[in-house]
Amino acid sequence: MSDKAEKHDFLIKFSKSGSISVFKKLCSKVLRRSRPVFLDSEYIPVKSTGRNSGCDHFKIGKHLARLKASHLKEYMIFKCSCNQICLSFPIIQGSSVYGYVLFMHIGKDPGKAAVDAAKQCMDLALREFQKEQELNKLYETIRPRAIALSTIHTIHRLLSSTLNMDELIERIARLTLQVMRSKHCSIMLLDESGRYLIPKAVIDLNREIPRAGPQYKKIRLGIKPEGRVAKSGKVVILRNLVCVPLVEEDIIGVISARDKTNDAPFDKFELEILTTLAEQAVIAIKNAQMYEEQEKMAYGSIKALAALLDSKSPNTFTHSDEFVKIVLAIAEEIKLSREDIISLHYSALLPDTGKFSIPDEILKKPEGLSAGEYAIIKKQHLESIKIIEHLEFLKPAIPIIKHHHERYDGTGYPDGLKGRNIPVGARVMAVANAFEAMISARPYKGKKISMAQAIKEIVRNKGTQFDPEIVDAFVRITQRPDFTYTMEASG
Amino acid sequence: MINLKSLFKNEAARKVLLFFNENPNCIDTAKGISLWIGLDIEVIQKALNLLLKEGVITIHQSASTDAYAYTNNKAIVKRIEKYIKNI
Repeated sequence: MSDKAEKHDFLIKFSKSGSISVFKKLCSKVLRRSRPVFLDSEYIPVKSTGRNSGCDHFKIGKHLARLKASHLKEYMIFKCSCNQICLSFPIIQGSSVYGYVLFMHIGKDPGKAAVDAAKQCMDLALREFQKEQELNKLYETIRPRAIALSTIHTIHRLLSSTLNMDELIERIARLTLQVMRSKHCSIMLLDESGRYLIPKAVIDLNREIPRAGPQYKKIRLGIKPEGRVAKSGKVVILRNLVCVPLVEEDIIGVISARDKTNDAPFDKFELEILTTLAEQAVIAIKNAQMYEEQEKMAYGSIKALAALLDSKSPNTFTHSDEFVKIVLAIAEEIKLSREDIISLHYSALLPDTGKFSIPDEILKKPEGLSAGEYAIIKKQHLESIKIIEHLEFLKPAIPIIKHHHERYDGTGYPDGLKGRNIPVGARVMAVANAFEAMISARPYKGKKISMAQAIKEIVRNKGTQFDPEIVDAFVRITQRPDFTYTMEASG
Repeated sequence: MINLKSLFKNEAARKVLLFFNENPNCIDTAKGISLWIGLDIEVIQKALNLLLKEGVITIHQSASTDAYAYTNNKAIVKRIEKYIKNI
């Protein structure tokens, strides 16, 4: 804004401010209710600042110019073209005159004392207005930043609530799109070689393709704006693109927003927001990566343990890959939480750890068990589970492994739990376990039956041996066109 | 078709719309928005639910956080801007 425009803007705001209203009231008696007219520093009446008498304000301005009132920087009492007494106050900011306030046709000369009092009121009004202006400026500067800060805090809360990498990356992209008001957002991470950027999430409002797909090709470092950002670590801001690096000690990728929904150019404020968002995103991505690594280690440990048990007695302690698949399918069908699904996955990899201390002659007995043998199984089941209690990450899985031989009607073992007192994971495992036992003819489970017969048998035991809701979910899964259960895949 | 006239008659909904129109980059919780607008959180929550139903705002959810933001629909935003100008 030019100096002249700034002064003009100041005068308009001042003429409409609350401070000048108070000034008008204070001066109304002394100045015969004359309403002030504002002139700029070149004595030109400022538009939208009110009108006064029938006097021509331009002529008054010219009259004042002749008197060179600005040189005086003091109030002036003078007669206008219609020979009426008028009063003018200079509006001074620092050392420069911004303009004048004219009170026209005020009747008789109010006298020095009254004018001095009016001048003091004027100074007070100016000081009040300055304070008002400063507060407004502070509000205009701080409020958007405070709102932006709150937005970043909300984004942090949204990002830190998931450790699932796919979900996280898509969430970052959606939030970026929202906060940048852009039509397109992409998140690319460097591959292991560090030479290419791999698109992990691409959202395009025009196409609505939520995930990275083959249509989004990897980008070589140094090529295209994204590649250059990843190579240099420096942000790029163009009219329709803003791209910032994802940095955690080294560059791990880039995040970019393209084309604003209102077709306006990206500005520095938005660059600042995206940079802060990228910092939040990096922390969340790193946490998710660490969690993924921990999960891999946990699965690795469980698989090693399962392999160890299998080497003692193949297919006794572990089940087929299909068994794990159906357990997880039921868990998803009944919408278990991610944490519950992970615990169930661990349990499904080691379902029969409880058999570890059971003597082989009982385990492999082809015919039914005696009451004594059944008692041994119940006792040894609990003893065996104690072995895995030392593995901290397996603790949530222990109740599932421990109780998957409970029956819904309370006649199972080891604790005779009933209904929903049985952990939900254990109820899921019970159905999948019985299904696999029937179609694979395990020892002491009788002869192998067909898949259809096994499903029928499970439905027959709905509400007695099995949780009805889980049986219903299981049946729905088996009715899917793509349902298969291949025992050849047994581990 | 969104009935803006009816939405703008609701004081809280009007204030939320004016807030998002002024701060389109904002994503915040009902509590945060109530703080910026200066109305009770219960009143704001009701207005947010109404605006969400009308498709004027969107929601970003996690297990513990419900955050609201302005729609990205260019046509709706333009209509609201035009309506605000004519108020």
